[in-house]
Amino acid sequence: MAEQNSSFSQSDGSAGGQGASRADLYREWIDMALLTPIRVAWDDWRTQVGSIIIAFYLLMGTVGVALVEPPTQGQGPRLTPAFQDWSVPLGTNDIGTSILSATVHATPPMLQMIAAGAVFSTAIATVIGTVSGYKGGLTDRVLTTFTDIAMTIPGLPLIILLAALFDPSNPALIGILITINAWAGLARSIRSQVLSLRDHSYVEASRIMGAPTRRILVDDVLPNIMPYVLINFVNSARNVIFGSVALYYLGLLGGTHENWGIMLDGAYNGGAIYSLQVIHWLFVPMIAIIGISFGFVLFAQGTEKLFNPRIRARHAETVEDDTAPYQE
Amino acid sequence: MTMQQTHTAAVDDPIFEVRDVSVSFDMDRGESRVLDRVDMDIERGEILGVVGESGSGKSMFASALLDAVVDPGVLTGDITFDPEDGRRIDLLDRDETDIKDIRWRQIAMVFQGAMSSFNPTMTIEAHFRETLSVHDYDVEAGMERARQLLSDLYLEADQVLGSHPHELSGGMSQRALIALALVLEPEVLVMDEPTAALDLLMQRSIIELIREIADERDLTIVFITHDLPLVANLADRLAVLYAFEFVEVGPSDEVLTGAKHPYTRALLNATPNLDTPREEMRPIEGSAPDPVNVPEGCSYHPRCPLADDTCIREDPPLTDDGDDHAAACHYVDRVAEEVPLTLQEVTVDE
Amino acid sequence: MYVVKRVAQALVTFVSVVTITFALVRAIPGGPADFIRAQVMQSGGADEVSMSEINALVESYTNVDPSTPLHVQYFNYLTSVLQGDLGQSVWYSRPVADIIVDAAPWTIFLLSISILLTFGLGIVLGAVMAYLEGTRFDSGSTVLSMFLNSVPYYIAAIFLVYVVSIQLGMLPQSGRFTSGLDPGLNVEFIASVLRHAILPIVSLVVTGFGGVAITMRGNAVQEIGEDYIRVAHLRGVPGKRIATRYVGRNAVLPMYTNFMIAVGFMFGGSVILEEIFAYEGLGLYLLQAIEARDYPLMMGTFLIISLAVLVCILIADLTYSKIDPRISDQGSREAY
Repeated sequence: MAEQNSSFSQSDGSAGGQGASRADLYREWIDMALLTPIRVAWDDWRTQVGSIIIAFYLLMGTVGVALVEPPTQGQGPRLTPAFQDWSVPLGTNDIGTSILSATVHATPPMLQMIAAGAVFSTAIATVIGTVSGYKGGLTDRVLTTFTDIAMTIPGLPLIILLAALFDPSNPALIGILITINAWAGLARSIRSQVLSLRDHSYVEASRIMGAPTRRILVDDVLPNIMPYVLINFVNSARNVIFGSVALYYLGLLGGTHENWGIMLDGAYNGGAIYSLQVIHWLFVPMIAIIGISFGFVLFAQGTEKLFNPRIRARHAETVEDDTAPYQE
Repeated sequence: MTMQQTHTAAVDDPIFEVRDVSVSFDMDRGESRVLDRVDMDIERGEILGVVGESGSGKSMFASALLDAVVDPGVLTGDITFDPEDGRRIDLLDRDETDIKDIRWRQIAMVFQGAMSSFNPTMTIEAHFRETLSVHDYDVEAGMERARQLLSDLYLEADQVLGSHPHELSGGMSQRALIALALVLEPEVLVMDEPTAALDLLMQRSIIELIREIADERDLTIVFITHDLPLVANLADRLAVLYAFEFVEVGPSDEVLTGAKHPYTRALLNATPNLDTPREEMRPIEGSAPDPVNVPEGCSYHPRCPLADDTCIREDPPLTDDGDDHAAACHYVDRVAEEVPLTLQEVTVDE
Repeated sequence: MYVVKRVAQALVTFVSVVTITFALVRAIPGGPADFIRAQVMQSGGADEVSMSEINALVESYTNVDPSTPLHVQYFNYLTSVLQGDLGQSVWYSRPVADIIVDAAPWTIFLLSISILLTFGLGIVLGAVMAYLEGTRFDSGSTVLSMFLNSVPYYIAAIFLVYVVSIQLGMLPQSGRFTSGLDPGLNVEFIASVLRHAILPIVSLVVTGFGGVAITMRGNAVQEIGEDYIRVAHLRGVPGKRIATRYVGRNAVLPMYTNFMIAVGFMFGGSVILEEIFAYEGLGLYLLQAIEARDYPLMMGTFLIISLAVLVCILIADLTYSKIDPRISDQGSREAY
């Protein structure tokens, strides 16, 4: 990956050099590490469509929940098909619950799960991957073995065991539980990225200058692994969705929340697959699940441009763009 | 920017005749012409040094000689290739000419960054064998030749052949690439900045090696670089590119001691010398033009001390005065006084 | 040597997995001892059965005597596992190892075909997409792949069951093979096995190959832009060989990590998949064991699934260094 050199010469401000104020440096860091990746990613239609889809679900989970009444029994006649009775626009299930209500009200806990799981796994993976890749030696070996163990234990069985064990009900906890070993893959890629970065001249220069490890990691290494982090943040959303629905479908998590998985389970076992009439009971949660996953997948795909340092440079505002004029 | 058809700097026995060749790219901002209707003759068996700054079009010139300009660039014009066996070939006539037969077999190319020119998952030997068999050569005889080439280049043939590209150092991989380029015994070797990624000592030794093999094998070499002093001793003739055209061509010692174009002279002055104190360093004012937006008239006029209205209106053609040293300037006669050479001494080694 | 180090690492990992399994099951409220105790008490004659008899009973099922100190329990468990004795299933009253030997080949059969197909199709598609970069085929395939990748495999499974099994009646809905058939190398049996395997495999492959294709496409596109491809063209290497030996080979190498993650993922996924299809493999037994609180079976299947994943990853790691000459010895870097 290209070197990201600060366009400010890091002088200490004495002897009339061209120093930069703290605020300027922070601005530049934020630009390089956050705003530029966002700008680059937004450039792609996939990110845009993906964001719209995600925004729709966010809306559903916030505004929607206020607008649509919570699901209870008997909101409408049992097993009403979709698009018939407009008081229950998406039909009802076998105990008369409005499918629309159930779908909408399943969204907030799902969003919470996604957020908690994504933040947790990304944070752990970044910390472990970075420290392990940068430090090398014994620290690396220990952390890598730890990562490998986490990667080896098959995710779903472990989660199922843990869910049976702890029976968590807080969506945030569930989210974290599901990603309990999903961070391993990201940690591995971050580690190899850091490994190749640490030999770059500017990192070596910082080391020789005596900058503390923490500074080097934050200033030199972190901005360059941001694309991986961003992508994985989004990918872990997909894992949480799949995992949580699976758990609810299998009936391993309690019925304290609505969840599309519960609806699926009810539909499958309630015989929805045997009859065309009742198919909405099965399909609506399916579509909800596929929809939000697709939104995240699109978003993640759109961010692939982030990995091209030339394009990043072109979008950065505080860093000079010295890409050749006639090379794309 | 038209060119007079005076067959400037014409040579007696051209192996290449380049006429009116342009390379252009269609960009959002406009049409980008990175080689602008150039004419050039290349003498059989000579070492021609093509000098220019970054972005002057020199790599495009190199690619053009193999009809290998990268997409989406468009290459137009005429290049006539006259190999030993006598058939004059119109290189750019894509219906008539099978360029694949000519590439590597008669004209080969060596790039900067030799290590990235090899397939990381193939041994060097595999590269040689592949090249030989693809062109239907006798592979075993070819490998013998390859071994000889490698040891002529001061490499341990067996060690290098058995290695993968990442196992070789910069200098080693550069020499291995040169050997690979020569294994089919081409007549012409085009080298695009082959030493740029190497340290100074390695650069020098590779230049020496190139001179040796050029002499031994009667090669024509086109050596492209931005580093004027580097190629000064190696080349028989020097051609200077500025703003996508040739502004000066001539025998090296004449160009070095008596350059006729103000740009060349300024370039020579700008070359740092170990003895030159910092205050006397003379970079050239201004910067090279953007290919989408080349100035009218003489493309150098914004930076030239001799520039006047003629220069702004008319683009000077590349002409000689009957000798073999040509320059594209209206005021060739005044150049010596207006742009004095400040070099302490220009030594031309033998 | 790398091999020795890597195998040693794998052993360490395995022992850790055993430990974690042991700890997890210990942590389940109640635990095997209490459960068995409760069962015994339920079946009457509680007062007459002494603690030591209950402990003996527990030990006969789980290889662990709950009256002994924790580290002794752990040691006993570890040694039994290493000897291949995984205890006795409470629910089925059969040795766990027997159940596993019966179930494991089916799961492995299902998953290996799924993984091979997923990666085979994905890699080929990705390569073609890269070759046709920018065309409508490329954009269309990308969108399709992304969409399929957004469908969880179990949803695909449910959908397929609905459409193919129930509505169309073309393929069976559950089981490993039609019951009553004579297992063996006869055509009928093999055909039945294959028919029963199609839907589960298709669910996994159809939702998985898209992701592989997209990654492969990205890798290939990046390789195509590299210098050595241009040099290969100039050297006269034919396009087909460049596509396979140059672009293809170099683009596939990074897929190994994806492969390893996919192995773990699929083994995990077998739990739900086998539940949906009532396919008696490791995953289904694990799930049933959890629901029935059959601790020996639970631990045993969990361990074996992890072991399978471990072995696959180990093989992948060891073979990777054979095909990528750039990897010599990872981890021997200057420590900072």
